[in-house]
Amino acid sequence: MKNAFADTHPVVNLVYFLLVIGLGMFCMHPVCLGLSLACAVVCAGFLRPKPGKLLLGVLPLVGLTALGNPLFSHEGVTVLCYLPGGNPLTLESVCYGLAAGTMLAAVVVWFSCCNAVITADKFVYLFGRLAPALSLVLSMTLGFIPRFLEKFQEAGQAQAALGNPPPTRRARLRAALTQVSILVTWSLENALDTADSMRSRGYGLKGRTAFSIYAWTRRDILLLLWLVCAGGYVLIGVALGGVSWTYYPAMAGSFGGYPGTVFVLYAALCLTPAAFGLWEEHRWRCLMSNI
Amino acid sequence: MKKILALLLALLLLPACQGSRRVAGSCTLSISCQNILDNQDRLAENKRGLLPEDGWLLAPTQVAFYQGETVFDLLQRVTREKHIHLEFSKSPLYNSAYVEGIGNLYELDCGAASGWMFQVNGAFPNVGASAVELQDGDQVQWSYTLNLGGDLGQVVEEQP
Repeated sequence: MKNAFADTHPVVNLVYFLLVIGLGMFCMHPVCLGLSLACAVVCAGFLRPKPGKLLLGVLPLVGLTALGNPLFSHEGVTVLCYLPGGNPLTLESVCYGLAAGTMLAAVVVWFSCCNAVITADKFVYLFGRLAPALSLVLSMTLGFIPRFLEKFQEAGQAQAALGNPPPTRRARLRAALTQVSILVTWSLENALDTADSMRSRGYGLKGRTAFSIYAWTRRDILLLLWLVCAGGYVLIGVALGGVSWTYYPAMAGSFGGYPGTVFVLYAALCLTPAAFGLWEEHRWRCLMSNI
Repeated sequence: MKKILALLLALLLLPACQGSRRVAGSCTLSISCQNILDNQDRLAENKRGLLPEDGWLLAPTQVAFYQGETVFDLLQRVTREKHIHLEFSKSPLYNSAYVEGIGNLYELDCGAASGWMFQVNGAFPNVGASAVELQDGDQVQWSYTLNLGGDLGQVVEEQP
């Protein structure tokens, strides 16, 4: 079932993802990072069609950076052992690698959620006034990637249906090249079609308006208010150093009552789409049972 | 199979044999960050706790060195023995090592002209630390500078 959060006003969606992605990128407190990744995974379960596949791709990223960072960074007061090159392997660099990997994975998951919720038409609606050409180009290019993949697979299937699977590696390579050539031909033709179609619809003319049917409801305003309040509280905590963490040269950071409240609000903020979806579903079921 | 095992064993034992090199003499080694103490405001706040009160990361110490050891080899060996942090980068092509940070105090931590320099018997050799072989009785000083050696008494040539 489609999540109700995707049906709210695009500005609400945009504010939510700006807050969540921004905080996920700039707050390096380990608790924040853990919360960000966990909530991103939960939200992906609600907002994306196939969340499991994404996770399998993203989780190795954490391990990779955790292993990779100590190879290049040797700062830190806790020397665990010495690398073959002679430089020290420090606890701090391992922890920083782990943190950076978690951050990277979380942001990738957040962006994939964002992609699922902020569709091309919402994107054009949000930025169409600000930068009409850029938003159009961006939304078209972003839309091309999944369509390319789809067409690529389609071409491959058609090729496979024409004959036996290629026996040698060389033949397989040649088949793949044919597939790419088909894809390029298709995309060129498609681009011409698109250009013709857009010209006939008056794109690029002066005074052309776009129709959209997004209206503000009480639900959207309440949601936006909540996002601004919770997001502002967390943002102030992070920006003014109330929730901070240093990795080098020695690990230290803030814990206690005030950071605790920030963590709770941060988690609540991140989980907004999940909670909202569940609440809407519950309300729908109540309405149904009243009939 | 046995031959391969024997070869592996020999390879493993090789570094162990090198450990029993002949002691060639003794020299004095010191590591100092005195210059930062007078300019603490230029150091990032989270690094100020690393500064020793008297400015010596390693007060002048008499250490034995092995035959063929360079100034850099000595620094690496002694910092390991004394559990002092040391980061360097090595260029195998020139067999040269560059000391980036000692005790988590890194180059560029106190401005664009800061970093670690070394003196042997009070002079600044014009080659890298891994190209200077130790002589008996040498005085090796590693010190942190804030202005390319000017505060250590080195005359910095003006750029043309």
